[in-house]
Amino acid sequence: MTWSAPAWLWSWFIDPLAHSFMQRGLVVAVLVGAVCALLSCYLVLKGWALMGDAVSHAVLPGIVIAHVIQIPLAIGAFAAGLGCAIATGYIKSNSRIKEDAVMGIVFSGLFALGLVLFVKVETDQHLNHILFGNMLGVQWPDVLEAALIAVPAIVIVIAKRRDLLLYCFDPTHARAIGLPVGTLHFGLLTLLALTIVASLKAVGIILVIAMLIAPGAIGYLLTKRFDAMLAIAAAAAIGSSVVGTILSFHIDGATGPTIVVVQSALFVLAVMIKRGGRSANA
Amino acid sequence: MLLGPAIDLLLEPFAYQYMARAIWVSALVGAVCAFLSCYLILKGWALMGDALAHSVVPGVALAYLLGFPYAIGAFTSGIIAALGIAFVRRLTMLREDAVIGLVFTTLFAIGLLIVSINPTSVNVQSIVLGNILAISDDDVTQVIVIAAISLAILGLKWKDLLLAFFDESHARSVGLNPWLLRVLFFVLLSACTVAALQTVGAVLVIAMVVTPGATAHLLTDRFGMMIGLAMLIGAATSALGAYLSFFLDGATGGLIVVLQTLVFLAAFVFAPKYGRLAARRSARRAAEVIR
Repeated sequence: MTWSAPAWLWSWFIDPLAHSFMQRGLVVAVLVGAVCALLSCYLVLKGWALMGDAVSHAVLPGIVIAHVIQIPLAIGAFAAGLGCAIATGYIKSNSRIKEDAVMGIVFSGLFALGLVLFVKVETDQHLNHILFGNMLGVQWPDVLEAALIAVPAIVIVIAKRRDLLLYCFDPTHARAIGLPVGTLHFGLLTLLALTIVASLKAVGIILVIAMLIAPGAIGYLLTKRFDAMLAIAAAAAIGSSVVGTILSFHIDGATGPTIVVVQSALFVLAVMIKRGGRSANA
Repeated sequence: MLLGPAIDLLLEPFAYQYMARAIWVSALVGAVCAFLSCYLILKGWALMGDALAHSVVPGVALAYLLGFPYAIGAFTSGIIAALGIAFVRRLTMLREDAVIGLVFTTLFAIGLLIVSINPTSVNVQSIVLGNILAISDDDVTQVIVIAAISLAILGLKWKDLLLAFFDESHARSVGLNPWLLRVLFFVLLSACTVAALQTVGAVLVIAMVVTPGATAHLLTDRFGMMIGLAMLIGAATSALGAYLSFFLDGATGGLIVVLQTLVFLAAFVFAPKYGRLAARRSARRAAEVIR
Protein backbone atom coordinates (compact mmCIF):
# COMPACT_ATOMS: atom_id res chain seq x y z
CA MET A 1 0.00 0.00 0.00
CA THR A 2 2.83 2.38 0.86
CA TRP A 3 4.47 1.96 -2.54
CA SER A 4 1.35 2.12 -4.70
CA ALA A 5 0.92 5.89 -4.40
CA PRO A 6 4.46 6.62 -5.65
CA ALA A 7 3.91 4.16 -8.46
CA TRP A 8 0.96 6.00 -10.00
CA LEU A 9 2.64 9.31 -9.31
CA TRP A 10 5.75 8.02 -11.06
CA SER A 11 3.81 7.00 -14.13
CA TRP A 12 1.83 10.28 -14.06
CA PHE A 13 5.18 12.06 -14.39
CA ILE A 14 7.03 9.66 -16.66
CA ASP A 15 4.42 8.49 -19.16
CA PRO A 16 4.03 11.84 -20.97
CA LEU A 17 7.79 11.94 -21.46
CA ALA A 18 7.58 9.01 -23.85
CA HIS A 19 6.70 11.67 -26.44
CA SER A 20 9.73 13.52 -27.77
CA PHE A 21 7.81 16.82 -27.97
CA MET A 22 7.19 16.54 -24.23
CA GLN A 23 10.91 16.01 -23.60
CA ARG A 24 11.81 19.11 -25.58
CA GLY A 25 9.04 21.09 -23.91
CA LEU A 26 10.22 20.04 -20.46
CA VAL A 27 13.84 20.98 -21.15
CA VAL A 28 12.92 24.41 -22.47
CA ALA A 29 10.40 25.00 -19.65
CA VAL A 30 13.03 24.27 -17.00
CA LEU A 31 15.59 26.47 -18.74
CA VAL A 32 13.23 29.41 -19.15
CA GLY A 33 11.86 28.96 -15.63
CA ALA A 34 15.37 29.08 -14.13
CA VAL A 35 16.57 32.21 -15.92
CA CYS A 36 13.29 34.08 -15.37
CA ALA A 37 13.34 33.14 -11.68
CA LEU A 38 16.80 34.62 -11.12
CA LEU A 39 15.88 37.87 -12.88
CA SER A 40 12.56 38.05 -11.04
CA CYS A 41 14.35 38.43 -7.70
CA TYR A 42 15.86 41.72 -8.88
CA LEU A 43 12.66 42.96 -10.51
CA VAL A 44 10.68 42.31 -7.32
CA LEU A 45 13.25 44.10 -5.15
CA LYS A 46 13.71 47.04 -7.50
CA GLY A 47 10.02 47.58 -8.25
CA TRP A 48 10.48 46.87 -11.95
CA ALA A 49 7.43 44.67 -12.50
CA LEU A 50 6.11 47.11 -15.09
CA MET A 51 9.54 47.25 -16.76
CA GLY A 52 9.41 43.50 -17.37
CA ASP A 53 5.92 43.91 -18.76
CA ALA A 54 7.03 46.77 -20.99
CA VAL A 55 10.14 45.16 -22.44
CA SER A 56 8.34 41.90 -23.14
CA HIS A 57 5.55 43.58 -25.13
CA ALA A 58 7.94 45.89 -26.95
CA VAL A 59 9.82 43.05 -28.66
CA LEU A 60 6.94 42.39 -31.09
CA PRO A 61 7.88 44.97 -33.79
CA GLY A 62 11.49 43.82 -33.51
CA ILE A 63 10.44 40.28 -34.36
CA VAL A 64 8.39 41.37 -37.38
CA ILE A 65 11.10 43.70 -38.73
CA ALA A 66 13.79 41.06 -38.20
CA HIS A 67 11.66 38.70 -40.22
CA VAL A 68 11.36 41.23 -43.06
CA ILE A 69 15.05 42.07 -43.28
CA GLN A 70 16.08 38.44 -42.75
CA ILE A 71 18.11 38.65 -39.57
CA PRO A 72 17.70 36.28 -36.61
CA LEU A 73 14.45 37.05 -34.76
CA ALA A 74 16.27 37.06 -31.43
CA ILE A 75 18.41 40.04 -32.52
CA GLY A 76 15.40 42.08 -33.63
CA ALA A 77 13.54 41.24 -30.44
CA PHE A 78 16.52 42.16 -28.29
CA ALA A 79 17.02 45.51 -30.05
CA ALA A 80 13.34 46.45 -29.75
CA GLY A 81 13.20 45.47 -26.07
CA LEU A 82 16.26 47.51 -25.21
CA GLY A 83 15.02 50.37 -27.40
CA CYS A 84 11.80 50.48 -25.37
CA ALA A 85 13.74 50.81 -22.12
CA ILE A 86 15.98 53.56 -23.54
CA ALA A 87 13.07 55.50 -25.06
CA THR A 88 11.22 55.31 -21.75
CA GLY A 89 14.21 56.74 -19.92
CA TYR A 90 14.62 59.55 -22.47
CA ILE A 91 10.96 60.63 -22.50
CA LYS A 92 10.70 60.40 -18.73
CA SER A 93 13.68 62.65 -18.09
CA ASN A 94 12.56 65.16 -20.74
CA SER A 95 8.87 65.60 -19.99
CA ARG A 96 6.55 66.02 -17.04
CA ILE A 97 4.88 62.63 -17.46
CA LYS A 98 5.38 60.08 -14.67
CA GLU A 99 7.55 57.06 -15.38
CA ASP A 100 4.80 54.44 -15.18
CA ALA A 101 2.69 56.33 -17.70
CA VAL A 102 5.65 56.82 -20.06
CA MET A 103 6.39 53.13 -19.90
CA GLY A 104 2.76 52.31 -20.69
CA ILE A 105 2.73 54.70 -23.64
CA VAL A 106 6.01 53.44 -25.12
CA PHE A 107 5.38 49.74 -24.83
CA SER A 108 1.77 49.85 -25.98
CA GLY A 109 2.83 52.01 -28.93
CA LEU A 110 5.54 49.54 -29.90
CA PHE A 111 3.26 46.54 -29.43
CA ALA A 112 0.60 48.22 -31.56
CA LEU A 113 3.17 48.99 -34.25
CA GLY A 114 4.16 45.33 -34.18
CA LEU A 115 0.54 44.25 -34.68
CA VAL A 116 0.04 46.61 -37.62
CA LEU A 117 3.31 45.51 -39.25
CA PHE A 118 2.37 41.89 -38.65
CA VAL A 119 -0.90 42.28 -40.53
CA LYS A 120 0.88 44.10 -43.35
CA VAL A 121 3.73 41.62 -43.72
CA GLU A 122 3.21 38.10 -44.98
CA THR A 123 5.00 35.85 -42.53
CA ASP A 124 5.16 32.18 -41.80
CA GLN A 125 5.15 33.01 -38.09
CA HIS A 126 1.94 32.43 -36.16
CA LEU A 127 0.91 35.48 -34.16
CA ASN A 128 -0.50 33.20 -31.46
CA HIS A 129 2.86 31.47 -31.10
CA ILE A 130 4.67 34.78 -30.68
CA LEU A 131 2.11 36.02 -28.17
CA PHE A 132 1.55 32.89 -26.13
CA GLY A 133 4.51 30.69 -27.00
CA ASN A 134 4.38 27.17 -28.30
CA MET A 135 6.10 25.13 -25.67
CA LEU A 136 5.24 21.73 -27.08
CA GLY A 137 6.08 22.74 -30.63
CA VAL A 138 9.70 23.73 -30.00
CA GLN A 139 12.36 21.91 -31.98
CA TRP A 140 15.86 21.01 -30.76
CA PRO A 141 17.45 24.02 -32.57
CA ASP A 142 15.00 26.26 -30.67
CA VAL A 143 16.02 24.61 -27.41
CA LEU A 144 19.66 25.18 -28.31
CA GLU A 145 19.02 28.84 -29.12
CA ALA A 146 17.19 29.36 -25.81
CA ALA A 147 20.06 27.64 -23.99
CA LEU A 148 22.68 29.76 -25.75
CA ILE A 149 20.97 32.89 -24.47
CA ALA A 150 19.74 31.66 -21.09
CA VAL A 151 22.89 29.92 -19.81
CA PRO A 152 25.22 32.95 -20.18
CA ALA A 153 22.49 35.13 -18.62
CA ILE A 154 22.26 32.75 -15.65
CA VAL A 155 26.06 32.72 -15.25
CA ILE A 156 26.27 36.54 -15.34
CA VAL A 157 23.41 37.01 -12.89
CA ILE A 158 24.99 34.58 -10.42
CA ALA A 159 28.53 35.94 -10.85
CA LYS A 160 27.45 39.58 -10.47
CA ARG A 161 24.71 39.02 -7.90
CA ARG A 162 26.32 41.17 -5.16
CA ASP A 163 26.82 44.22 -7.39
CA LEU A 164 23.36 43.95 -8.94
CA LEU A 165 21.78 43.56 -5.52
CA LEU A 166 23.49 46.64 -4.13
CA TYR A 167 22.48 48.59 -7.23
CA CYS A 168 18.83 47.52 -6.81
CA PHE A 169 18.67 48.32 -3.12
CA ASP A 170 20.77 51.44 -2.83
CA PRO A 171 22.06 53.00 -6.07
CA THR A 172 23.54 55.95 -4.15
CA HIS A 173 25.60 53.68 -1.95
CA ALA A 174 26.62 51.62 -4.97
CA ARG A 175 27.88 54.78 -6.65
CA ALA A 176 29.66 55.91 -3.49
CA ILE A 177 31.71 52.73 -3.22
CA GLY A 178 32.74 53.07 -6.86
CA LEU A 179 30.48 50.59 -8.64
CA PRO A 180 29.68 51.52 -12.26
CA VAL A 181 26.00 52.27 -11.66
CA GLY A 182 25.23 53.15 -15.28
CA THR A 183 26.75 49.89 -16.49
CA LEU A 184 24.82 47.93 -13.87
CA HIS A 185 21.57 49.64 -14.88
CA PHE A 186 22.05 48.78 -18.52
CA GLY A 187 23.43 45.40 -17.61
CA LEU A 188 20.23 44.55 -15.77
CA LEU A 189 18.10 45.85 -18.65
CA THR A 190 20.17 43.83 -21.10
CA LEU A 191 19.81 40.70 -19.00
CA LEU A 192 16.06 41.31 -18.83
CA ALA A 193 15.80 41.70 -22.60
CA LEU A 194 17.94 38.57 -23.13
CA THR A 195 15.77 36.57 -20.74
CA ILE A 196 12.62 37.62 -22.55
CA VAL A 197 14.14 36.72 -25.91
CA ALA A 198 15.17 33.31 -24.58
CA SER A 199 11.63 32.71 -23.31
CA LEU A 200 9.94 33.78 -26.55
CA LYS A 201 9.52 30.41 -28.22
CA ALA A 202 8.36 28.70 -25.05
CA VAL A 203 5.99 31.04 -23.21
CA GLY A 204 5.55 33.93 -25.62
CA ILE A 205 5.77 37.64 -24.95
CA ILE A 206 2.56 38.06 -22.95
CA LEU A 207 3.04 35.40 -20.30
CA VAL A 208 6.76 35.82 -19.67
CA ILE A 209 5.97 38.68 -17.28
CA ALA A 210 4.25 36.20 -14.95
CA MET A 211 7.41 34.09 -14.78
CA LEU A 212 9.37 37.29 -14.12
CA ILE A 213 7.41 38.13 -10.95
CA ALA A 214 6.02 35.09 -9.13
CA PRO A 215 9.26 33.19 -8.32
CA GLY A 216 10.95 36.29 -6.91
CA ALA A 217 7.87 37.08 -4.86
CA ILE A 218 7.87 33.53 -3.43
CA GLY A 219 11.55 33.81 -2.54
CA TYR A 220 11.00 37.23 -0.99
CA LEU A 221 8.26 35.90 1.26
CA LEU A 222 10.16 32.89 2.54
CA THR A 223 13.60 34.27 3.36
CA LYS A 224 15.47 37.42 4.33
CA ARG A 225 18.81 36.37 2.75
CA PHE A 226 19.35 37.18 -0.89
CA ASP A 227 21.27 34.03 -1.84
CA ALA A 228 18.50 31.94 -0.29
CA MET A 229 15.93 34.05 -2.15
CA LEU A 230 17.64 33.29 -5.48
CA ALA A 231 17.75 29.58 -4.63
CA ILE A 232 14.11 29.41 -3.51
CA ALA A 233 12.95 31.36 -6.57
CA ALA A 234 14.87 29.07 -8.92
CA ALA A 235 13.63 25.93 -7.17
CA ALA A 236 10.02 27.14 -7.20
CA ALA A 237 10.21 28.07 -10.89
CA ILE A 238 11.87 24.83 -11.98
CA GLY A 239 9.42 22.78 -9.92
CA SER A 240 6.48 24.68 -11.42
CA SER A 241 7.86 24.23 -14.92
CA VAL A 242 8.11 20.46 -14.47
CA VAL A 243 4.73 20.03 -12.78
CA GLY A 244 3.03 22.54 -15.11
CA THR A 245 4.33 20.91 -18.28
CA ILE A 246 3.26 17.44 -17.19
CA LEU A 247 -0.07 18.70 -15.85
CA SER A 248 -0.86 20.51 -19.10
CA PHE A 249 -0.43 17.19 -20.93
CA HIS A 250 -2.97 15.46 -18.67
CA ILE A 251 -5.59 18.23 -18.72
CA ASP A 252 -4.96 18.95 -22.40
CA GLY A 253 -4.48 22.67 -21.74
CA ALA A 254 -1.94 25.22 -22.96
CA THR A 255 1.44 24.67 -21.31
CA GLY A 256 2.56 28.26 -20.60
CA PRO A 257 -0.60 29.26 -18.72
CA THR A 258 -0.55 25.99 -16.75
CA ILE A 259 2.99 26.69 -15.53
CA VAL A 260 1.97 30.21 -14.51
CA VAL A 261 -1.06 28.93 -12.60
CA VAL A 262 1.13 26.37 -10.78
CA GLN A 263 3.55 29.16 -9.85
CA SER A 264 0.69 31.23 -8.50
CA ALA A 265 -0.53 28.27 -6.46
CA LEU A 266 2.97 28.00 -4.99
CA PHE A 267 2.82 31.70 -4.15
CA VAL A 268 -0.46 31.18 -2.27
CA LEU A 269 1.18 28.26 -0.45
CA ALA A 270 4.15 30.49 0.44
CA VAL A 271 1.80 33.14 1.86
CA MET A 272 0.09 30.47 3.97
CA ILE A 273 3.42 29.05 5.24
CA LYS A 274 4.54 32.54 6.11
CA ARG A 275 1.32 33.36 7.96
CA GLY A 276 1.26 29.98 9.68
CA GLY A 277 4.87 30.41 10.81
CA ARG A 278 4.18 33.88 12.16
CA SER A 279 1.14 32.87 14.21
CA ALA A 280 3.05 29.84 15.58
CA ASN A 281 5.87 32.13 16.71
CA ALA A 282 3.57 34.68 18.25
CA MET B 1 -9.95 63.08 -63.41
CA LEU B 2 -8.25 60.86 -60.87
CA LEU B 3 -10.09 62.58 -58.07
CA GLY B 4 -13.36 60.70 -58.56
CA PRO B 5 -12.00 57.17 -57.99
CA ALA B 6 -9.82 58.41 -55.15
CA ILE B 7 -12.81 59.86 -53.33
CA ASP B 8 -14.79 56.71 -53.99
CA LEU B 9 -11.99 54.70 -52.42
CA LEU B 10 -11.84 56.99 -49.40
CA LEU B 11 -15.61 56.81 -48.91
CA GLU B 12 -15.82 53.08 -49.49
CA PRO B 13 -15.63 52.11 -45.79
CA PHE B 14 -18.78 54.12 -45.04
CA ALA B 15 -20.73 52.03 -47.52
CA TYR B 16 -20.47 49.08 -45.15
CA GLN B 17 -22.71 49.18 -42.13
CA TYR B 18 -20.25 47.25 -39.98
CA MET B 19 -17.53 49.81 -40.74
CA ALA B 20 -19.67 52.83 -39.93
CA ARG B 21 -20.66 51.16 -36.67
CA ALA B 22 -17.08 50.22 -35.79
CA ILE B 23 -15.98 53.82 -36.36
CA TRP B 24 -18.48 55.48 -34.07
CA VAL B 25 -18.41 52.80 -31.38
CA SER B 26 -14.61 53.10 -31.30
CA ALA B 27 -14.84 56.88 -31.04
CA LEU B 28 -17.26 56.59 -28.12
CA VAL B 29 -15.05 54.12 -26.25
CA GLY B 30 -11.96 56.21 -27.03
CA ALA B 31 -13.60 59.31 -25.57
CA VAL B 32 -14.66 57.64 -22.29
CA CYS B 33 -11.27 55.96 -21.79
CA ALA B 34 -9.55 59.28 -22.47
CA PHE B 35 -11.67 60.95 -19.77
CA LEU B 36 -10.48 58.39 -17.22
CA SER B 37 -6.90 58.62 -18.48
CA CYS B 38 -6.59 62.18 -17.15
CA TYR B 39 -7.00 60.90 -13.59
CA LEU B 40 -4.80 57.83 -14.09
CA ILE B 41 -1.96 59.96 -15.45
CA LEU B 42 -1.95 62.42 -12.59
CA LYS B 43 -2.33 59.75 -9.89
CA GLY B 44 0.32 57.42 -11.36
CA TRP B 45 -2.10 54.52 -11.73
CA ALA B 46 -1.06 53.39 -15.22
CA LEU B 47 -0.29 49.88 -14.01
CA MET B 48 -3.79 49.56 -12.55
CA GLY B 49 -5.31 50.12 -15.99
CA ASP B 50 -3.11 47.44 -17.51
CA ALA B 51 -3.82 45.08 -14.63
CA LEU B 52 -7.61 45.43 -14.87
CA ALA B 53 -7.54 44.83 -18.61
CA HIS B 54 -5.65 41.57 -18.22
CA SER B 55 -7.64 40.46 -15.19
CA VAL B 56 -11.00 40.53 -16.94
CA VAL B 57 -9.93 37.90 -19.49
CA PRO B 58 -11.00 34.82 -17.45
CA GLY B 59 -14.42 36.41 -16.85
CA VAL B 60 -14.86 37.09 -20.56
CA ALA B 61 -13.75 33.57 -21.47
CA LEU B 62 -16.20 32.02 -19.02
CA ALA B 63 -19.00 34.32 -20.16
CA TYR B 64 -18.64 33.29 -23.79
CA LEU B 65 -18.24 29.67 -22.75
CA LEU B 66 -21.38 29.57 -20.61
CA GLY B 67 -23.36 32.10 -22.66
CA PHE B 68 -24.02 35.00 -20.29
CA PRO B 69 -23.31 38.68 -21.07
CA TYR B 70 -19.57 39.20 -21.36
CA ALA B 71 -19.74 42.47 -19.43
CA ILE B 72 -20.94 40.65 -16.29
CA GLY B 73 -18.14 38.08 -16.46
CA ALA B 74 -15.53 40.74 -17.08
CA PHE B 75 -16.82 42.89 -14.30
CA THR B 76 -16.83 40.05 -11.78
CA SER B 77 -13.26 39.07 -12.52
CA GLY B 78 -12.20 42.72 -12.41
CA ILE B 79 -13.58 42.96 -8.89
CA ILE B 80 -11.90 39.67 -7.93
CA ALA B 81 -8.62 41.17 -9.16
CA ALA B 82 -9.07 44.35 -7.11
CA LEU B 83 -9.92 42.32 -3.98
CA GLY B 84 -7.02 39.94 -4.65
CA ILE B 85 -4.57 42.84 -4.90
CA ALA B 86 -5.85 44.39 -1.68
CA PHE B 87 -5.77 41.01 0.09
CA VAL B 88 -2.21 40.06 -0.96
CA ARG B 89 -0.96 43.55 -0.04
CA ARG B 90 -2.38 43.17 3.43
CA LEU B 91 -0.83 39.72 3.91
CA THR B 92 2.67 40.38 2.56
CA MET B 93 5.39 43.01 2.57
CA LEU B 94 5.79 42.85 -1.22
CA ARG B 95 5.99 46.05 -3.26
CA GLU B 96 2.72 47.20 -4.76
CA ASP B 97 3.83 46.77 -8.40
CA ALA B 98 4.88 43.17 -7.77
CA VAL B 99 1.53 42.37 -6.12
CA ILE B 100 -0.43 43.94 -8.97
CA GLY B 101 1.70 42.10 -11.53
CA LEU B 102 1.32 38.82 -9.70
CA VAL B 103 -2.47 39.02 -9.43
CA PHE B 104 -3.17 40.15 -12.98
CA THR B 105 -0.81 37.67 -14.66
CA THR B 106 -2.36 34.86 -12.62
CA LEU B 107 -5.87 35.80 -13.71
CA PHE B 108 -4.72 36.28 -17.30
CA ALA B 109 -3.09 32.84 -17.30
CA ILE B 110 -6.27 31.29 -15.88
CA GLY B 111 -8.19 32.95 -18.72
CA LEU B 112 -5.82 31.57 -21.35
CA LEU B 113 -6.02 28.15 -19.73
CA ILE B 114 -9.84 28.17 -19.88
CA VAL B 115 -9.70 29.17 -23.55
CA SER B 116 -7.10 26.51 -24.37
CA ILE B 117 -9.17 23.74 -22.80
CA ASN B 118 -12.27 24.83 -24.75
CA PRO B 119 -10.74 26.24 -27.93
CA THR B 120 -13.97 26.24 -29.93
CA SER B 121 -16.05 28.54 -27.72
CA VAL B 122 -13.98 31.72 -27.91
CA ASN B 123 -11.38 33.12 -30.21
CA VAL B 124 -8.51 34.05 -27.95
CA GLN B 125 -7.24 36.65 -30.41
CA SER B 126 -10.47 38.61 -30.29
CA ILE B 127 -10.18 38.95 -26.50
CA VAL B 128 -6.49 39.76 -26.41
CA LEU B 129 -6.32 41.91 -29.54
CA GLY B 130 -9.93 43.09 -29.92
CA ASN B 131 -12.15 42.64 -32.93
CA ILE B 132 -14.43 45.62 -33.37
CA LEU B 133 -15.00 44.93 -37.06
CA ALA B 134 -16.77 41.67 -36.28
CA ILE B 135 -18.53 42.72 -33.07
CA SER B 136 -21.96 41.16 -32.48
CA ASP B 137 -25.12 43.23 -31.99
CA ASP B 138 -25.43 42.16 -28.35
CA ASP B 139 -21.88 43.23 -27.65
CA VAL B 140 -22.43 46.60 -29.33
CA THR B 141 -25.41 47.19 -27.04
CA GLN B 142 -23.32 46.34 -23.99
CA VAL B 143 -20.50 48.65 -25.07
CA ILE B 144 -22.88 51.56 -25.72
CA VAL B 145 -24.70 51.12 -22.40
CA ILE B 146 -21.42 50.97 -20.48
CA ALA B 147 -19.92 53.96 -22.26
CA ALA B 148 -23.04 56.12 -21.98
CA ILE B 149 -23.53 55.46 -18.25
CA SER B 150 -19.82 56.03 -17.53
CA LEU B 151 -19.79 59.26 -19.50
CA ALA B 152 -22.89 60.53 -17.68
CA ILE B 153 -21.45 59.75 -14.24
CA LEU B 154 -18.08 61.29 -15.13
CA GLY B 155 -19.80 64.40 -16.49
CA LEU B 156 -21.63 64.85 -13.19
CA LYS B 157 -18.86 63.87 -10.80
CA TRP B 158 -15.61 64.95 -12.46
CA LYS B 159 -14.97 67.83 -10.06
CA ASP B 160 -15.73 65.71 -7.00
CA LEU B 161 -13.31 63.06 -8.22
CA LEU B 162 -10.63 65.68 -8.83
CA LEU B 163 -11.02 67.08 -5.34
CA ALA B 164 -11.12 63.66 -3.68
CA PHE B 165 -7.97 62.49 -5.48
CA PHE B 166 -5.79 65.55 -5.13
CA ASP B 167 -6.98 67.32 -1.99
CA GLU B 168 -8.48 64.72 0.26
CA SER B 169 -8.82 66.86 3.40
CA HIS B 170 -10.55 69.63 1.48
CA ALA B 171 -12.85 67.07 -0.12
CA ARG B 172 -13.75 65.75 3.31
CA SER B 173 -14.40 69.23 4.66
CA VAL B 174 -16.96 69.94 1.95
CA GLY B 175 -18.74 66.70 2.78
CA LEU B 176 -17.45 64.34 0.08
CA ASN B 177 -16.50 60.75 0.84
CA PRO B 178 -13.07 60.16 -0.80
CA TRP B 179 -13.19 56.43 -0.22
CA LEU B 180 -16.57 56.11 -1.92
CA LEU B 181 -15.43 58.24 -4.86
CA ARG B 182 -12.34 56.10 -5.23
CA VAL B 183 -14.49 52.97 -5.37
CA LEU B 184 -16.73 54.69 -7.92
CA PHE B 185 -13.69 55.56 -10.03
CA PHE B 186 -12.39 52.01 -10.08
CA VAL B 187 -15.84 50.65 -10.91
CA LEU B 188 -15.95 53.08 -13.85
CA LEU B 189 -12.42 52.13 -14.86
CA SER B 190 -13.22 48.42 -14.94
CA ALA B 191 -16.42 49.13 -16.87
CA CYS B 192 -14.51 51.13 -19.49
CA THR B 193 -11.79 48.50 -19.62
CA VAL B 194 -14.48 46.01 -20.49
CA ALA B 195 -15.74 48.29 -23.28
CA ALA B 196 -12.24 48.94 -24.59
CA LEU B 197 -11.61 45.21 -24.71
CA GLN B 198 -13.90 45.09 -27.72
CA THR B 199 -12.08 47.77 -29.67
CA VAL B 200 -8.38 47.31 -28.91
CA GLY B 201 -8.20 44.10 -26.85
CA ALA B 202 -6.78 43.35 -23.41
CA VAL B 203 -3.15 44.05 -24.19
CA LEU B 204 -3.63 47.54 -25.64
CA VAL B 205 -6.25 48.88 -23.19
CA ILE B 206 -3.39 50.47 -21.25
CA ALA B 207 -2.78 52.85 -24.18
CA MET B 208 -6.44 53.92 -24.26
CA VAL B 209 -6.43 54.77 -20.54
CA VAL B 210 -3.00 56.42 -20.45
CA THR B 211 -1.84 57.95 -23.73
CA PRO B 212 -4.58 60.56 -24.44
CA GLY B 213 -4.36 61.91 -20.89
CA ALA B 214 -0.57 62.11 -21.06
CA THR B 215 -0.75 63.95 -24.39
CA ALA B 216 -3.24 66.45 -22.99
CA HIS B 217 -1.10 66.87 -19.88
CA LEU B 218 1.73 68.12 -22.12
CA LEU B 219 -0.58 70.64 -23.79
CA THR B 220 -2.38 72.35 -20.92
CA ASP B 221 -2.26 73.16 -17.22
CA ARG B 222 -6.00 73.37 -16.67
CA PHE B 223 -7.77 70.15 -15.73
CA GLY B 224 -11.05 70.90 -17.50
CA MET B 225 -9.13 71.70 -20.67
CA MET B 226 -7.05 68.55 -20.22
CA ILE B 227 -10.19 66.40 -20.12
CA GLY B 228 -11.56 68.09 -23.25
CA LEU B 229 -8.33 67.68 -25.21
CA ALA B 230 -7.85 64.08 -24.08
CA MET B 231 -11.40 63.15 -25.12
CA LEU B 232 -10.92 64.82 -28.48
CA ILE B 233 -7.66 62.94 -29.05
CA GLY B 234 -9.12 59.65 -27.83
CA ALA B 235 -12.24 59.89 -29.99
CA ALA B 236 -10.43 61.14 -33.11
CA THR B 237 -7.63 58.56 -33.02
CA SER B 238 -10.10 55.74 -32.34
CA ALA B 239 -12.41 56.75 -35.20
CA LEU B 240 -9.51 57.25 -37.61
CA GLY B 241 -7.89 53.99 -36.55
CA ALA B 242 -11.10 52.05 -37.13
CA TYR B 243 -11.51 53.78 -40.52
CA LEU B 244 -7.95 53.02 -41.63
CA SER B 245 -8.19 49.40 -40.55
CA PHE B 246 -10.63 48.87 -43.44
CA PHE B 247 -7.75 49.35 -45.86
CA LEU B 248 -5.44 47.14 -43.85
CA ASP B 249 -7.92 44.30 -43.35
CA GLY B 250 -7.71 44.26 -39.59
CA ALA B 251 -5.42 45.29 -36.73
CA THR B 252 -7.93 47.95 -35.65
CA GLY B 253 -6.58 48.07 -32.10
CA GLY B 254 -3.01 48.31 -33.34
CA LEU B 255 -3.83 51.21 -35.66
CA ILE B 256 -5.73 53.14 -32.97
CA VAL B 257 -2.86 52.84 -30.53
CA VAL B 258 -0.19 53.66 -33.12
CA LEU B 259 -2.11 56.86 -33.92
CA GLN B 260 -2.39 57.72 -30.22
CA THR B 261 1.34 57.18 -29.79
CA LEU B 262 2.13 59.39 -32.81
CA VAL B 263 -0.04 62.20 -31.39
CA PHE B 264 1.76 61.82 -28.07
CA LEU B 265 5.18 62.00 -29.73
CA ALA B 266 4.11 65.10 -31.67
CA ALA B 267 3.05 66.74 -28.39
CA PHE B 268 6.30 65.60 -26.76
CA VAL B 269 8.30 67.46 -29.42
CA PHE B 270 6.09 70.42 -30.37
CA ALA B 271 3.94 71.23 -27.30
CA PRO B 272 4.01 75.03 -26.84
CA LYS B 273 5.10 75.02 -23.21
CA TYR B 274 6.21 71.51 -22.25
CA GLY B 275 7.57 70.20 -25.58
CA ARG B 276 11.21 69.46 -26.31
CA LEU B 277 11.54 72.34 -28.78
CA ALA B 278 10.05 74.81 -26.30
CA ALA B 279 12.40 73.55 -23.60
CA ARG B 280 15.38 73.99 -25.90
CA ARG B 281 14.22 77.49 -26.87
CA SER B 282 13.86 78.61 -23.28
CA ALA B 283 17.24 77.08 -22.39
CA ARG B 284 18.85 79.08 -25.20
CA ARG B 285 17.09 82.24 -24.05
CA ALA B 286 18.27 81.65 -20.49
CA ALA B 287 21.83 81.20 -21.74
CA GLU B 288 21.64 84.51 -23.63
CA VAL B 289 20.33 86.32 -20.57
CA ILE B 290 23.24 85.02 -18.52
CA ARG B 291 25.71 86.13 -21.17
